[in-house]
Amino acid sequence: MSGPAWVAVADDVSIKEGVPLAVYPKGLAVLVIRQHGELFAIANKCAHMACPLKAGRLDGYVITCPCHDWRFDIRDGAFLDAPELAISTYAVKEKDGKVLVRLEEARDGG
Amino acid sequence: MADEVFLYTLSTCPWCRKAKQWFTERGVAFEAVDVDLLSGQEQEAAAEKAHQLSGGRRFPVAVINGEVVVGFNPERYRELVNGTG
Amino acid sequence: MAVAERKDALRFLFGKVVDPLGFKFTPDEELADFLLQQEVKLEREHGAPYCPCQGRSGARDEDMRIVCPCIPFHRAHFDKMRRCWCGLFVHKDVTDPDSLPQFPPDEA
Repeated sequence: MSGPAWVAVADDVSIKEGVPLAVYPKGLAVLVIRQHGELFAIANKCAHMACPLKAGRLDGYVITCPCHDWRFDIRDGAFLDAPELAISTYAVKEKDGKVLVRLEEARDGG
Repeated sequence: MADEVFLYTLSTCPWCRKAKQWFTERGVAFEAVDVDLLSGQEQEAAAEKAHQLSGGRRFPVAVINGEVVVGFNPERYRELVNGTG
Repeated sequence: MAVAERKDALRFLFGKVVDPLGFKFTPDEELADFLLQQEVKLEREHGAPYCPCQGRSGARDEDMRIVCPCIPFHRAHFDKMRRCWCGLFVHKDVTDPDSLPQFPPDEA
């Protein structure tokens, strides 16, 4: 069996620094974020009540859910107020002007 | 001496109901206010008073003969109430 | 959405949150049902399923810390009581939730 496929989700120029972009590779709600020049891909779904994180506040590597202010580290998905909880993160890369996301979770979302 | 009991409660909180029931079952007269059912300034005043007394926003808050008990705590209630067996 | 459906939805969402934290729904089904009912009501009237046994201050940073399940924000206190403040959740090993005391964090 071959490994999980990389899926193109956007043109790389469409992902601006500090402005999360919601994408739906194979129907999965993913948020792609360019922060400090680096790309991150996280589940666009809060671990609390599944609110989309797209409208959240991004401050450094921390995104705060717009619904009830739950905070997650976009680098590893960790929930800042309890180490047992996290959102999924995905491997992401740029190639030939496209941003690609690998749909296998980079770590267990909890 | 007659007991003076005042309960700050929330209508949504089952432990507040249990507290009222506890005093009722023992024939201890009490006054109570469901803070969430008040409105406007009355609500603000009651919430602020409960906050001052309890140091937090947890309910129920019982004031039994001048002593404050936060949470449904029959053991403490028994210690503080005079007039019942 | 009907109240019963929303209660089911909250049960589903919250179950996934509290399990990794070592908590479960109280085995007192009647209590759980009543509390979830209150949370649906609070969510409809005040915008979030706040703890039915804690009051809102009006300050967002404080009020968001009592949105159910509020365990992550009161962990040490709830671990001492082996339940959350309103009793919707108890430690996984608890079989008799009525035996658990309710005391404020400074009386632990």
